[in-house]
Amino acid sequence: MTALRAALAEARTGLRLRRRGALLTAMGIALAAAMLSAAVVVGVGLGGGFDRAAKAADLPDIIVRFDPESTSLVDQRLRALPDIASYSTRFELTNTEIAAGGRRRGDAVAEVMSGSGRPGYAIVAGRGLARTGSQVLVELGFAQAWHLHLGSTLYVGGLGPQRVVGFTEAPDNVGYPLAKPRYYLSRPTLAAHFGPQPNPQVNLAEIWLRNPRYLNEVLVQARATSFGLHDIQFATRSGVKVLLDQAAGIVIDLLVALSVIALVTAGAMLAASARAEVQRRLGAIGVRRAVGASRGHIALAQGLEAMLIAVPAAGLGVVAGVLATYGPDDRLLTMLNEPPPGSALLLPLAAGFLASVAIPVLGAAWPAWRAAGRSPVGLLRGGELETGGEGRRRSGGHGRRGGLAVLGARLVAARRVRLVATVMTLGLSAGFVLLMLALASELSSLETDPGALGKRYQLTATMPVGAVSRARRIPGIAAAAPRYEVEGADSYDLGETIDVIAYPGDHTVFEDPPLVSGRRLRGNDQAEVGVGLADALGLSAGSTLAIELSTGNELRFRVSGLVSSLDHDGRVAYVPAKALLAAEPSAPYQVAVVLRPNADYGAVTAALTRIGAQFAATSGATARGVPLVNTLRTILLAIAVVDGLVCLYALIQASTLTVQERRRTVAVLRACGAGPGAVRRLLFGATLALIVPAAVVGVVLEKYVFGPALSRLAENYAALPLDATTAEVLATVAGLVLAGALATVWVARQASRESVVTGLASR
Amino acid sequence: MLDDVSLSVEADEVVAILGRSGSGKSTLLHLLGGLDAPDSGEITLAGDRLTGRSARALARIRLRHIGFVFQQFQLIEELSGAENVLMPTRLPGAPAAGARRAARLIEELGLTEVADHLPHELSGGEQQRFAFARALVNGPKLILADEPTGSLDAENGAAVLELLRGLTGRAVVIVTHEPEAAAIADRVVQLTDGRLVAESGSFAARGARRERP
Repeated sequence: MTALRAALAEARTGLRLRRRGALLTAMGIALAAAMLSAAVVVGVGLGGGFDRAAKAADLPDIIVRFDPESTSLVDQRLRALPDIASYSTRFELTNTEIAAGGRRRGDAVAEVMSGSGRPGYAIVAGRGLARTGSQVLVELGFAQAWHLHLGSTLYVGGLGPQRVVGFTEAPDNVGYPLAKPRYYLSRPTLAAHFGPQPNPQVNLAEIWLRNPRYLNEVLVQARATSFGLHDIQFATRSGVKVLLDQAAGIVIDLLVALSVIALVTAGAMLAASARAEVQRRLGAIGVRRAVGASRGHIALAQGLEAMLIAVPAAGLGVVAGVLATYGPDDRLLTMLNEPPPGSALLLPLAAGFLASVAIPVLGAAWPAWRAAGRSPVGLLRGGELETGGEGRRRSGGHGRRGGLAVLGARLVAARRVRLVATVMTLGLSAGFVLLMLALASELSSLETDPGALGKRYQLTATMPVGAVSRARRIPGIAAAAPRYEVEGADSYDLGETIDVIAYPGDHTVFEDPPLVSGRRLRGNDQAEVGVGLADALGLSAGSTLAIELSTGNELRFRVSGLVSSLDHDGRVAYVPAKALLAAEPSAPYQVAVVLRPNADYGAVTAALTRIGAQFAATSGATARGVPLVNTLRTILLAIAVVDGLVCLYALIQASTLTVQERRRTVAVLRACGAGPGAVRRLLFGATLALIVPAAVVGVVLEKYVFGPALSRLAENYAALPLDATTAEVLATVAGLVLAGALATVWVARQASRESVVTGLASR
Repeated sequence: MLDDVSLSVEADEVVAILGRSGSGKSTLLHLLGGLDAPDSGEITLAGDRLTGRSARALARIRLRHIGFVFQQFQLIEELSGAENVLMPTRLPGAPAAGARRAARLIEELGLTEVADHLPHELSGGEQQRFAFARALVNGPKLILADEPTGSLDAENGAAVLELLRGLTGRAVVIVTHEPEAAAIADRVVQLTDGRLVAESGSFAARGARRERP
């Protein structure tokens, strides 16, 4: 205990003596802790979001949608199913009118609850629907966007004012604004306005199984016994989860990778700083050893000093990281209809805090332990710590050219191991910034440019198939063909719905989704499938895809290749029109129109109108998901900013270490007449020696490692060509140079404030 | 540290400041070189006031008018001997023709053979001669030498003193506690506990300087 008190007193004294250095160390620890806690908040939030939401909402195992049918018939069909724990039915009404607070929409979804049974949603605020009274529940995301509070009034078309009594979350669909606004009504509320119906209609059933392992068996049975129900669509809990997990996975992987980089950066810099500090204190350590201090005491004092800095800094960093990301993460989760993680964050955050403290403490104690192991005489002579290959270079081969900047570069290059570590750290950060920039611009193009997803057609038109040949003759139109699209289900796994898309002839003229593996379809028995579908069904090139259409007919294809598709969540199959029309002759279609380069858009649409076609412009893939893209862009921007701060910190720390170790050199220069400008020039040379190779490392890493890795992660959605453009590379290099200049100015200012005499007297 | 000290050094004069450790002689040297600022009083160099000037202005004065020779040589480890000599000529604002002067000094001091060697490859005497050349390379009016022979053996120490004694046209202030070093001075100043207690001439040195061609 006495030894600990003595070490603590020594640590406090050390801290008082080097306040400025402690501040810099604290900054690094705080940054790393902030990055780590941000990753924890987003990672835990998104990673377990679906499971939390499903548990809270008591999400059913199967959701079945069908054309409106009487409750009694639906009940009859549902009761016939085996192994069912419970079910509930509701009527889902689309395109209803709502208004509140001066806003109005005509595309809201009303869920009219049948009354009894499990609701399939979680009430996150307020209470459930009473059996009587004009009241509604609204989805939380929608309520927040429209600033609805408990007790607010929502005007519902045909029903008039309804009091909002609660907010809900249900992960069977993403929330507003990614999906249309959704609200819940009770059947008695409807009956109070339109009169009671003896056998009301429903069009949605939620099914809970006794044993979810028998999902497929129940689905097969449901298909077989669903006669009388039309246009049935199944959605399963696992299908929804796969979809959401894929989307969250990219963000989580990015954050985890970046937080690891931040930790490595902080760890490398802090270890280098601790080593330099121990180097500076060798004499003092020698004296302590000479008067009988144990090796453990010296390491303990050094470790405690680091702990005194690390505990408050890591605490602040963790709090800052949580504050910075909790809000955006909460918004993202609300959009996905998922609840925030709450207390589940505490344990991972505590682990992050401990890691943020342990790394600098060990980084400080270890070199002290090593140094204290040497003989006191050697320590008092002030020899260097073992440098791990950073030996003195020999003369010869160096010219007499070069000014202060070159000298600065030489000073940095003298510490080869640190030079490599710092260059790699900066290179990693620069690579990530480049990746963020490339990703942000790619997201923008996904939002606005249909071609980014392989769509080659600019217009869709409604017209008879017979009129397509007339459309093709319109000047400015390069190609036009019917685009058939129907929904089917996998014959083996009926929960997986598939968008079946077909063109007569080569579909790549109109849609050229990037080929991930295999080859394009050839012949009427082949299909290209989206990676999302392939993942869900375990398909690969050569597998058999069996699609059950709503008519009950089945299509069978050999998978020729896998393609990327974002527009349909990857659950698509491109098939030949001939095969589709043979099974479903009345398959709905629109005519896809490809314009020639430099075609007059106005003239083409006017000509289409003249032949009786109604046209619509093709939208970008994420047109419906603009808020999600914007949120993702915000997160990417935040990551890039933190990454930039990590770069700045690494540069300041590296420059400070150089100055600390070369105090005497700087003092000699100043004694010889070097003013503040000359010191800046010296330090800028040192910084350039780090920045130039780091920029090269960053560009190479982005091009050959990060970009391809992220493209692979995202290939379920789209082919993201994440090659940074020249402008992005220049912007990143400019950012590095700016960070270098800032670091130079700051460190030069600190160095110029030190007395020349003190610098000359330093070891 | 220093109290009531008044000292005037003529151009072409060598002054030795003698004193024991802690007497304040190094502090006096630092004040004269503009490396430290006095709490009160005034320091002028060739009519220019050093006191009250900004760090930037002092740096400029040091660059053009003051040369330092340190006990520990203070050569920059990453630079060769020649580069160390050239370094002050490459600082912003340095007088012209520094490179030519550096080459001449290296040759005159017999350092041509070892000009490309790094400091740790040089002997103590060679290091001090390079430091001496560095102090002279910008043609300063004042040379300040802090224990210039303190880290040298007798032979090399004598050679360095010979160099200092041979300087013409500039004021030289040597801080030392060695009587041999003081012997080359025109004037010897004794500092005790921060006070100037005695001043005397060194006629032998004066005579020797007069005899120099």
